[in-house]
Amino acid sequence: MKNPIVAFLGNPNVGKTSLFNRITKLHQHVGNYPGITVEKREGSVKANGKTYRVIDLPGTYTLFPTSMDEEIVYNVLADRNNPAHPDLVVVVAEPNNIKRSIVLYQQARELGVPAIFVVNMIDEVNAKGIDVDYQKLEAYLHTKVYTTDARNGKGIKQLIHAFDERPGYFPSQFAIEEPYKTALDEAKKAFPLHTEYQTWQFIAQENISFLTKDQQETLTDIRERYQLSPNVLQQTEAIKRNAKIEEDLKTVILQKDNHHLHRTNKIDKVLLHPVWGYIIFFFLLFLVFQLVFILSEPIMDWIDENFSALIDYAAGVLPEGPLSDLFTQGVLAGIGGIIIFVPQIAILFLLISLMEETGYMSRVVFLMDRWLRPYGLNGKSVIPLMSGVGCAVPAIMAARNIENTKERLVTMLVTPFMTCAARLPIYVVLISLVIPNETFLGFGLQGLVLNLLYILGVVAALVSAAALNKIIKNQHKSFLIFELPSYKSPDWRNVGTNMWEKTSSFLFQAGKIILAMAVILWVLGNFGPNDKFSNAEQYVLQANPALSEGELDEEVASFRLEHSFLGYMGMGIEPFVKPLGYDWKMGIGLISSFAAREVFVGTMATVYSLGEDIDPDDDEERETLLGRMRSEINRNTGEPSYNLASGISLLLFYAFAMQCMSTIAIMKRETGSWKWTLIQTVMMTGIAYIVAFIAYQLLK
Amino acid sequence: MQKSFSLDLLKVGEQATIRQLDSSELPSKFYEMGLLPGTVIEVRHKGPFHGPIGLHILSSNLLIAIRKSEAAHIFVDK
Repeated sequence: MKNPIVAFLGNPNVGKTSLFNRITKLHQHVGNYPGITVEKREGSVKANGKTYRVIDLPGTYTLFPTSMDEEIVYNVLADRNNPAHPDLVVVVAEPNNIKRSIVLYQQARELGVPAIFVVNMIDEVNAKGIDVDYQKLEAYLHTKVYTTDARNGKGIKQLIHAFDERPGYFPSQFAIEEPYKTALDEAKKAFPLHTEYQTWQFIAQENISFLTKDQQETLTDIRERYQLSPNVLQQTEAIKRNAKIEEDLKTVILQKDNHHLHRTNKIDKVLLHPVWGYIIFFFLLFLVFQLVFILSEPIMDWIDENFSALIDYAAGVLPEGPLSDLFTQGVLAGIGGIIIFVPQIAILFLLISLMEETGYMSRVVFLMDRWLRPYGLNGKSVIPLMSGVGCAVPAIMAARNIENTKERLVTMLVTPFMTCAARLPIYVVLISLVIPNETFLGFGLQGLVLNLLYILGVVAALVSAAALNKIIKNQHKSFLIFELPSYKSPDWRNVGTNMWEKTSSFLFQAGKIILAMAVILWVLGNFGPNDKFSNAEQYVLQANPALSEGELDEEVASFRLEHSFLGYMGMGIEPFVKPLGYDWKMGIGLISSFAAREVFVGTMATVYSLGEDIDPDDDEERETLLGRMRSEINRNTGEPSYNLASGISLLLFYAFAMQCMSTIAIMKRETGSWKWTLIQTVMMTGIAYIVAFIAYQLLK
Repeated sequence: MQKSFSLDLLKVGEQATIRQLDSSELPSKFYEMGLLPGTVIEVRHKGPFHGPIGLHILSSNLLIAIRKSEAAHIFVDK
């Protein structure tokens, strides 16, 4: 027998996810809903002698979707053929929004899905000043009502025990009257197998994705003939349902003074203050980034050291040969390049999910909307943009809760301009090469330039957003409405799972691509088309017979790279990068770092024949690399390869260019189209090329 | 009774009853989140430079934020 599916439905901020985590414990995974790219959180629990599949639907206020997340909810509940269509829906409410949750409950029941009702956060019911007559509520809802507190596990057992309930009859709570009745009757003829409310939903929504073209046309035709506007139909339903619930529940839910709100209001007086609110926000922002870098540093060093040791060990154990090289220098080094970013991403998402859990993130949206709106963005764009300073991959995923399609797209398109962690090592190396270590107005010049590059990322994101805002057509009117939830202490279980989900999706999804690229690069760099590659030693000895053994090895490695496929590719693109002030060696760096920016430093180390294990964080090793790079002469110009002009040009190139396979992959996944992914890549790299070109030509 | 005026004119701390929403300008989500005719609201926060407005819905004790431009399409009276 098929395992029964239980789906959790509810408003945002009701502790639905806490409940889900409590019930499924760690038996959960994140997948995708078929055909679309919204994450599906699914878990399982064994109880009552069977295994239930439990799905945590995205938080929603209604079954009339306005965002991608909400569309999923509707499709899962309304489409019986959806593989995630539940056998039982658990509608989760919290004491303050029971009435609003009942609307959702009624809609689900009238679509024909069995449902039970849960009041979560029951421990706060007194502080929130709510008094519920559960017997009356059960009678009104024609179902069982459970009370739980996901934080301490109260009521969870009883809830799981109820997973076999299948409440049957539910009388419609929403009477459809003229002027819509005639139109509805006509539509019902086209959908004989559907309930009245299902048919109403079909009329009251545009673009229901699971209907056939013919069915959609029938509906459009009816809407046109009766001059029905979906928006007005939806509003009619909302007003009628709410008025009826308000009337019907007068004696069921009593409301007194809310102590929680007093506390929240006091905190908001400071955190939403026109002056203090911003000061505190920017201080927190500063603190978050400091923490991301400071806390992750020792862990990253540790990973780096151990991975190098592991690679050395593997190289020692494995029989020598190209396969061993591929495994150690290609695969293992590739994996190391992914894992090194895990601490930063994990810490960033720890802090972001803390901000979300406590309720502060909504305040950030409140504070920032005014300043992002002129650029065609939305207050909710703050979260992706801020996360972009860590890594664009999870940041782009964070754009999902933006309702407006256009604002979501623009946010995703500009997020990679934010200075991500992978740009940092390149910036550090290049700045110390070309920016003199002097002070300017009492500040270190090098640090100042680094700060400028961060600001440049923000400016680039905003300016390109403004430009895209002019170009992309808007399908819907932009609007912003969101709840400011009461402040609460974070549920650590949620923080933990969220952190793990985001980090692991980076590790596995993006990791696959970085790994593949690392292997491809390794192959290109380790094979050559002619005997200059295979007999490199002879050629080097012929030219310089007097080399010592150590020098010889380095020279051979460098000569090999020059005559490998990668080397020829570097020389192939030299004509294109010459106007930017780069030579073929830097060209190799650009090609290889297309997979991921952080590859640049390592490649440069190989190109300048220093052996492959250069750690840019290790002062001594960095100095060796820097010294070597400083003395490098560009054979086209006869000047140092890394002078002020080419260095600035390179910095600007990396600030703008889409040098990241993982971002490309995630954009494809999130937008579902190659079109926007390619537009983004061309836009970013195009801007990078032009800006770097202008900078070099002006400075040289 | 006073004539209704748009919600964005309310000052922080003022209470009013929603009379009507301009349904051609606002999506149904506004109704669904609780801004319904007859609802009593209190303006709790206002963002600087015509920023968002934070509304306390008295009947449900929830705090909702909307843009000023949207508040201009919601009509209230005191």
